[in-house]
Amino acid sequence: MILEFMRDDHRACDDFYAKAENALSAKEVDNAKEFFETFYRVTNHHFDMEERELFIAFEQRTGMTGGPTQMMRYEHQQLRSLLESMKSALNENRHNDFFGIGESMMIMLQQHNMKEEQMLYPMMDRALEDSAEGMIQKLREMAK
Amino acid sequence: MYNGLSFEQAPPISAVMRFFLTVPIFGIMLTLLVGFHPDEILIASHPLSLASIHVMFLGVITMAMFGALFQMQSVLGGCSIPNAAGNAFLIHLFLSIGTLSLGSAFLFVSPPLFVVAAVFLGSSILYTAKLILPLLFRGSSHDTLRGMKIALICLAIVVLLGIVMASEYANETFGSLHEAIRTIHYSFGLIGWIAVLIIAVAFQVVEMFYVTAPYSSWCKRYGLLIIAVSLGLKAFWTLLSLPFVWMFDALIGALLIGFIATTMKRLLNRKRRVSDVSIWFWFFGIGLLFVSLSAYTIYSLSGIELFQPMALVAFALFALSIILGMIGKIVPFLIWFHLNAAGYMDTPIMSNIITHTRAKLLFVLFVSTALFTLVGSLYHPFLSIGAIMGSAMFALLLYNIFTALALYAHTVRFGVRFDCDTEIR
Repeated sequence: MILEFMRDDHRACDDFYAKAENALSAKEVDNAKEFFETFYRVTNHHFDMEERELFIAFEQRTGMTGGPTQMMRYEHQQLRSLLESMKSALNENRHNDFFGIGESMMIMLQQHNMKEEQMLYPMMDRALEDSAEGMIQKLREMAK
Repeated sequence: MYNGLSFEQAPPISAVMRFFLTVPIFGIMLTLLVGFHPDEILIASHPLSLASIHVMFLGVITMAMFGALFQMQSVLGGCSIPNAAGNAFLIHLFLSIGTLSLGSAFLFVSPPLFVVAAVFLGSSILYTAKLILPLLFRGSSHDTLRGMKIALICLAIVVLLGIVMASEYANETFGSLHEAIRTIHYSFGLIGWIAVLIIAVAFQVVEMFYVTAPYSSWCKRYGLLIIAVSLGLKAFWTLLSLPFVWMFDALIGALLIGFIATTMKRLLNRKRRVSDVSIWFWFFGIGLLFVSLSAYTIYSLSGIELFQPMALVAFALFALSIILGMIGKIVPFLIWFHLNAAGYMDTPIMSNIITHTRAKLLFVLFVSTALFTLVGSLYHPFLSIGAIMGSAMFALLLYNIFTALALYAHTVRFGVRFDCDTEIR
């Protein structure tokens, strides 16, 4: 349940990045900036959903505070830093840098997503089984 | 159980890179064998042919796949390989010695070298399976992990049968089951180890890295399982010399065609449209798999001998295409990742580690190698040109990996590091 909801959100974020990349390679700079801005916003929102709600609920339920959630937070920091670098590169019209940093960001982001989808979210579904629906509702409300 | 979730638990760069750096060295050896003996290389069971096949599948393909497994295990498997540096050193050393021994044993028809090869390859591959399989069976499971388990189990079977055959070569006496064992050995190697691992990884990588529609869950759940069961039944049928063994090949072939069609569709409709050499390798590799299956079908239906080596060559090139695309991404990523994680401020971006120009040149050389080698499998004089192209391609691959490592070493030695206290040293 959490797995499906969060996995769909990963894919929605990826779609915006693909659109930004496609627009920039077609020299549609304004569109690229707009799509990247959306990608930047929804990806950070995804990290916030995890850090402010999901991870805390999981840690409270399992008592695992120094485990996988801590590692995911660390990876979020690294990804946030890459997103900032890409934003600067795009705003300063350093398009080659944008694509160059984007290559690393995409591999790192997808490795991060794989770990969450294959290990962390299934663990969360098991740990939060009775309250998973309420949690998803809470996450939906965060977007409003 | 959760070690794999930590970047700090990622395998050291040396654990992965030692495998990748050895790939082009064996590749160059292979092209020398092909280039100097184009007429003998495609004769089934000729010592030169057997030497080349084993250098290709062990020294190039398995070597690269072991490197990738060391990297992927922590991401896909959820826990990193214990003492990755030490284990990679031993596995790589034994695999290299074993491959060299086996190639030499065939080339020089030397019984003692078959024993040496059996000891080193057996130790290396069975130890790898023993090291990684328990990690894959621990914790959560998913489709790619199931594929990795099947692939490693098949590889262990391949090497056990290989040891049996090596002992026959060493004693120069062949049992009544030699041909059956040989058939099972290469079926499990080509399909169970190589194709299954590539398909299992494709289920993850294609969808996530190229932003495509997901593969159907039925495909992911049952496709590889049906292949594994078909291989098992084919082995049973072959050992007992039962009729209609071709039906298992047909079933596996149909599933592989399904994989080709679904992967092509996903890649063509991918949302990331940016031109990328790795996607060209995927397209070309999938095309080569189709050529391999077509050639094998023609051989099976018509019995025209020429198409059998062509099917094998196309299959090897399919695996090589996917591997080259993967190495082209993973090498610059690992250099960037390890330098960035260590806090080097002047960490180069990926496209400055292996430039786009060199990545494209590698693809052009690979396409030339593949085309000349495939035509050469029907008309032998072209094999020599394929071998020259292949030497150039592997030399460029070696240069790309070597310069990437040199850049890493230079940055580690002279780079400016940003530490936790924001002090610059």
